[in-house]
Amino acid sequence: MADTTVLTKEPYVPQDEDFKLKGNIEDILVDTNFASQSFWKEVVARFRKKKSAVLGLIFVLVITFFAFIGPGMNQYTYSGQDLSQKNLAPRIPIIEYTGFFDGHENIATTKGTKTVNLYFENKLPDVFYWFGSDNFGRDIWTRTWSGAQVSLIIAVAAAIIDMIIGMSYGLISGYFGGKVDMVMQRILEIANGIPRLVIVTLLLLVFKPGMLTIIVALMLTEWVGMSRIARAEMLKLKEQEFVLASRTLGAGSMHIIFSEVLPNIIGPIITQVMFSIPTAIFTEAFLSFVGLGIPVPRCSLGSLISEGFNSFTTHPYQIIPPIVVMALLMLSFNLVADGLREALDPKLKEM
Amino acid sequence: MKKYVIKRVVTALFTLLAITLILFILMQLMPGSPFNDEKLNDTQRASLYAKYGLDQPIVVQFFRYVINMFKGDLGVSYKISKNTPITQLIASRLPISIGVGFAAVMIGALVGLCLGLLAAFKKDTVWDTLATIISVIGVSVPSYVFALALSYQFGFKLKWFPMLFSAKDVIGSSVLPSISLSMFTMASIARFTRAEMIEVLGSDYMLLAESKGLSGNKLIFAHALRNALIPIITVLAPLVVDLMTGSLVVEKIFSIPGVGSLLVNAIQSNDYNVVIALSFIYSAMYIGIMLVVDILYGVIDPRIRVAKEGD
Repeated sequence: MADTTVLTKEPYVPQDEDFKLKGNIEDILVDTNFASQSFWKEVVARFRKKKSAVLGLIFVLVITFFAFIGPGMNQYTYSGQDLSQKNLAPRIPIIEYTGFFDGHENIATTKGTKTVNLYFENKLPDVFYWFGSDNFGRDIWTRTWSGAQVSLIIAVAAAIIDMIIGMSYGLISGYFGGKVDMVMQRILEIANGIPRLVIVTLLLLVFKPGMLTIIVALMLTEWVGMSRIARAEMLKLKEQEFVLASRTLGAGSMHIIFSEVLPNIIGPIITQVMFSIPTAIFTEAFLSFVGLGIPVPRCSLGSLISEGFNSFTTHPYQIIPPIVVMALLMLSFNLVADGLREALDPKLKEM
Repeated sequence: MKKYVIKRVVTALFTLLAITLILFILMQLMPGSPFNDEKLNDTQRASLYAKYGLDQPIVVQFFRYVINMFKGDLGVSYKISKNTPITQLIASRLPISIGVGFAAVMIGALVGLCLGLLAAFKKDTVWDTLATIISVIGVSVPSYVFALALSYQFGFKLKWFPMLFSAKDVIGSSVLPSISLSMFTMASIARFTRAEMIEVLGSDYMLLAESKGLSGNKLIFAHALRNALIPIITVLAPLVVDLMTGSLVVEKIFSIPGVGSLLVNAIQSNDYNVVIALSFIYSAMYIGIMLVVDILYGVIDPRIRVAKEGD
């Protein structure tokens, strides 16, 4: 009976003044030369050592900057047409005096090539199209950057959504193991056996293309790879002590999966997202090229390329800006992803 | 081994069945019906539906559809060329596409191999950097960028090769498309060969072979190359995917009368029957290649087989 009286008593909560600092904190020596660095500091340091990755990051940032600022930098809009000013070659103020970008273009005729400047022939001395104008008299500068904006939004949104889906799928499959894992992996195998291109094409044929449907269709292409990585990482981590500790303390499965394991595998996941962005940009461009892209008057890099393709022998300047921006964007994202992969996992062999 | 092969084949068949189901569902969802003609009266429409079996319950329709697909009866085209069996449309086009694809793989594999070996043997020199730059560009820039650039420079400007495909000069007009398609293959094989070769060159058995006094050539060809090239089969899967996607656009750019441009045309003219049939063919080809790759990989590297049998 004595025990119960003890238990019902209010437990004593220790106060701060009950403790006294023992020893002197200034005496503790910290090795500043070889001080341990935080994980992310080391990652940044390793990333900065890789020049190609830094260059890629700069390009990504510059293109993203122009994609959001560029369309507002002149008076034209991405859909504004002026049929009296169509097919004008690039012309930029001040630079035009150097002989480049002064609005001239070479036109192949039956008697050989001749150089013309449509700005003067059409009496437009004060008109400047920095990247030229297209077949409908739309400004290619504005269209290129607003296309880049659309492509980037689609690609990033698709990459993030398939990260969430793929990651959850892989983590759950790996954590529960056994029958759950078996069933989930069989489903995955079948999903992986279907060529993504086919599914994306068919989906867009049924549900008419638009920003949202393209994002949904693209989302279906990358989640398999993501879930494989998440599952492999989960299998590595789930036997570790911190998971056991968490479970002993009474944490539920979902808590362990998303609050304990997930923060530890964020590195490979981010790398995979970076790799899936250029893939999404490419797939979107491909869809536009076959006529399943973003509907007019909006444009994306892919639809600009497919428009430019129709006249690329007569007016090559129309296809160059979107194609260069897209190639640079894909290249830079790949470089950044490569650098990130090495920075996050220095043990990985270089490939 | 037997168990492993059977398991792979069963999975592949299930996948193919799943695709057929998806295709069938999508076909039901497709807007409009081919018999939406105003001029038809109800009895005519009913007789047409009966002719094509569209009056049957949906489950029966599905089974008929599956049986037809596997028998090789892919239906008829409604728009591109009216009432032509799709099998007939494809039959003349498939060899051209496969030819260009095969040439691309060959060019890519050969050049990529040389580039990778060069980079590995001259590690950390200008050659290595150059090969790395080429392979990074090849992996990340899509094939139709190369196709457009090549067709402008060598087809339009220099006129070395025809810009558009012509039946009279099949070899000459396949050069540019094959090269543009081969870039991804070349780049991934170069990257892979370099990484594997560097690892093999640093291994203990190479040191042993060298200390036995083997000559340089024998060392490279009999010992290093063989071991470095076995894992190359892992890059085959992304290559197949890239070739399929690439061929669609590249065939359109060079107007090659292949399967890829047929699919693009079918998409653009809403000829759903052709799209579905070609999707089935693409899927079947893809699944078949994946099956072969998986089995080959199991034969070559028993560790994979054991791991996959385990889970």
